[in-house]
Amino acid sequence: MEPFEYAIKKDVRNNPIVREVDQTRQRELWRAACLAGFLVIVLLFSAWQHFELLRHGYQIEELNRELAAEEETGRQLRLEIDTLRSPKRIEALALERLRLVAPSSDEAVVLERVQPAEPPAKSVVARRE
Amino acid sequence: MSDPGLQWRATLKRRIVIAATVMAAWVAVIEGRLVYLQLFRHTDLTARAARQQSWTRTTPAKRGDILDRRGHLLATSVDVDSIYAVPAEIDNDQEAATKLCQALADCSRREKEALAERFKNQRLFAYVRRHVSPDEARRVTALNLNGVGFIKESRRFYPNKELAAHVLGYVGVDGEGLEGLEATYDGQIRGKPGTVLIHTDARRHAFSRFERPPTAGSTIELTIDEYLQHVAERELQAGIAAHRAEGGSAIIMNPRSGEILAMANAPTFNPNAYRDGQPAGRRNRAVQDLYEPGSTFKVVTASAAIEEKVMPITTMIDTAPGFIRIGNSIVDEYQGHNYGVLSFRDVLIRSSNVGAIKIGFRVGVDRLSRFVSLYGFGRRVSPDFPAESSGIVWKPEQWTERALASVSMGYQIAVTPLQVAAAYSAIANGGDYIEPRILRAVYKDGRRFAVTPKVVGSAISKETAATLIGIMEDVVAAPKGTATRARIPGYTVAGKTGTASKLIDGRYSASENNVSFAGFVPSRDPAIAIVVVIDAPHSGGRAGGVVAAPIFKRIAENALRYLGVPPTIDPVPPVLVDRRDAESVPASAASSSEPIVNLVSDVPPGTVPDLHGMSAREAIRRLGTLGWTAQLAGDGFVTSQDPLPGSTLEPGGVCRLVLSRQILPGERPGGQP
Repeated sequence: MEPFEYAIKKDVRNNPIVREVDQTRQRELWRAACLAGFLVIVLLFSAWQHFELLRHGYQIEELNRELAAEEETGRQLRLEIDTLRSPKRIEALALERLRLVAPSSDEAVVLERVQPAEPPAKSVVARRE
Repeated sequence: MSDPGLQWRATLKRRIVIAATVMAAWVAVIEGRLVYLQLFRHTDLTARAARQQSWTRTTPAKRGDILDRRGHLLATSVDVDSIYAVPAEIDNDQEAATKLCQALADCSRREKEALAERFKNQRLFAYVRRHVSPDEARRVTALNLNGVGFIKESRRFYPNKELAAHVLGYVGVDGEGLEGLEATYDGQIRGKPGTVLIHTDARRHAFSRFERPPTAGSTIELTIDEYLQHVAERELQAGIAAHRAEGGSAIIMNPRSGEILAMANAPTFNPNAYRDGQPAGRRNRAVQDLYEPGSTFKVVTASAAIEEKVMPITTMIDTAPGFIRIGNSIVDEYQGHNYGVLSFRDVLIRSSNVGAIKIGFRVGVDRLSRFVSLYGFGRRVSPDFPAESSGIVWKPEQWTERALASVSMGYQIAVTPLQVAAAYSAIANGGDYIEPRILRAVYKDGRRFAVTPKVVGSAISKETAATLIGIMEDVVAAPKGTATRARIPGYTVAGKTGTASKLIDGRYSASENNVSFAGFVPSRDPAIAIVVVIDAPHSGGRAGGVVAAPIFKRIAENALRYLGVPPTIDPVPPVLVDRRDAESVPASAASSSEPIVNLVSDVPPGTVPDLHGMSAREAIRRLGTLGWTAQLAGDGFVTSQDPLPGSTLEPGGVCRLVLSRQILPGERPGGQP
C-alpha cells in the first residue's frame, strides 16, 4: 500500500496580528539611547576641553616666549640709549665734531633764585561807624 | 548516526571554548604584562616617563641694575648668545674647530687646538665660546655645522665703559660679582633663581609649565652722579698725563650727607672686558691704597691744638733755622725753607714742618692720637667698601718722640683718600663726622628703600671748625699760601696741600712723592668736598700745590656750575622770583621749600616722591623707576600731582601730573639744575 501522502495547506493569515508595542521596553530603549548620547557628548566635551587646554598651553608658551623676547629687546634698547648718551661720548662729539667749547667761568653765570619775604599777616582795619 | 543538528552545535561550542580560552590567555598575558609593568617596574618607568615628558629647568634671576643718583644706567644685564657643541654629533673635530675659529673674532691657534681637544674628550656638551657678539653668532649660524648650537645667557654690560669702573667692579662669566659694588652687594643684586617644570609632547614641544618664578635682583641706586664722575675722571686723567704721574685718585663728597658724588681712579679699566686690563689698573686706589698724607694731616694736629686749647692761634712759633733735631734725626722744611717766626695760622698757611712738629709736641701723644681716631683714621670708614684699607695708625703707647713729630706733619701714618675726604667733610660741616656712603637706595619689589646719612660722632666743635676753615681759606687765598692754584674766581675755597716722600723699600725716596690737595667749596656753606691724590708726578712740579691743587680747581669749577651753586664772592644779585599766591598753590606743593640744589631728596621708602618742578621727562623717568605710570595734563613743569608726595606707593599705579609753563619757586627737589 502506497504511503499515504497528504498535505494540509492551511492558509495561515496572521496579518491581523499586530505586534503589541512594549511601552516599557521602548522607554528603556530611549533612556539607554539618551544615556549613551549623553555619555558620548560628555566624552566629546571632555576631549574638546582637553585639546583646548593643550592648544592654549601652546599659545601661552608662545606668548611667554614673545613677552620674554620683548622684555629683552627693551633692556637692550635701554642699554643702547645709555651707551649713546654717555657723557664721555657726548663730550667728544661736542668738542670734536661740533667744535663746541666748554664755557669759561666768565661765560657761565649761576643765578641764585630767592623768594621775597613773607608778606605780613592780613589785618582788619576797624571801620569807622 | 548522530544528529547533524546536534553535531554543529557541539562544533560551535568547542570552537567558542577554544576562542574563549585563547582570548582568556591573551587577556591574561596582557594583564600579566600590565601587572608587571605597573607594579614591578613602576618606579623605573615613571622616572623614565618623567624624563621624557617633563623637563625641569633652572631659570636664572635677572641681575639688578646699578643706577646713578639721577637714574642713569651704570650697569645692566642683557641676554646674549653662547655657543655650545655636542661633540658626539660632530663628524670631524679638527675641521669643525677650524671653521668655528675662523668665524669667531680673536681666536688664537691655541684656542683652536683647545677647542678640538674639547670636542675629542667630551661627548655630550662643550662650550665653544660664551657671551659672543651678534656678529659672531651670525657667522657661526652661517656655518650650519651639525652638533653646534646656541643658548641664551645673561651678560653684564657697563654702558659708560670705564666710568666709575673701580666703584662698580665687574661680574664673572657665571654672573657672580667679583669686585667692587657688584661683589659687595652681590647677594642683593643677584636675586634668587627659579625653577620651571615644563611638560612636553612627543616632539618635545612645551605645552604646559609649572613655574616657581625667579626673584629678580634688587636694583641699587648710588650716590654717584654720572656727570660729576665723568668730570672727576677727565680732570684726573688730564692731570696725571700733564705731570706724567703713575696714578691717582679723586673723590667728590657732599660733606653734609656723606654721599660720595664721584670716586675716580687712574689708571682705569673697562669692566666690559676686565680681563684685558692689568690687575693694578683694577685696584680702587681711593679706598685700597695707603699713603702718607703729609701736610694735609697738619689740619688734624691743628684741630687738636685748637679744640684742646693747647695754644691760641695767635701764638708765634719759631721755625728757625728751618729744621728741627729729634734724637739723632733732623726734620727740615720742604725745599730747605727757613720761615723764621710764624704765627699758628701761618704754620698751616706756609705748611711749615717745624711749626707743625712744635704744635704736635704741645698737643702730646694722647690728645693727638685721640683726634686721629675721632677723624676716622686707622679704621674702615664706609660699609660700602669691604676691600677698604683701615690705614696704619700706631697705638699711642708705641709713639716715640720721633713718631709724634712725624705724625704731627703727616708721616708715619698711612691713610686712604676716602678717610681724608671724610675727615675734611667733618670740618666742612661744622665738626660732625658723617659716614661716607655710596649706596643711596635699594629698589626691591617696586619699592625704594633709601639709605639715610649716619652721623658717627662729633670730631671737633663748631667753633674749632670755624677757626680751621678760616685758616684753610688763607691756605688758598693768602699770597703766601701753598694752594693759590686752587683758587676759584667767585668762590671762597678752604683746603690744604700735602706733599709726602714715597716710602720705597723702607727708605723715603728723594724723587718720588705722593702729592695731594683736600678742600671744600664754598668754604662757608660747603656744597662739595674734594680730595685729589696723585702718585709720583714726574714733571711740571712735585708739590701738592702745583700738581693736585689745579686738578681740584678744575673739578670744583665744573661741579659748582653743574650743581648750580651761586658765587660767594661778589655774587650776581639774586633773581627775585614770584611768591605763589597761597590760593593758587596746589595743596601738594604748598609745603615745598626745597633749595635750588637738593642733594638729598630721599623720600620715605614705599611712598610717592615729590615731583614738583620736574620736567615731564624727569617725572616720567622717576615714576618709571618705581614701576608707576604717568598721566599728563598740560605742558611744562609739574605743578600738581595726584597722589600727593608721601602717599603710600602701590606697584603699578598711575600718577596724574598737571604741568604748567609757569616756573614756580622752590620746585626742583630732584630735577637737573
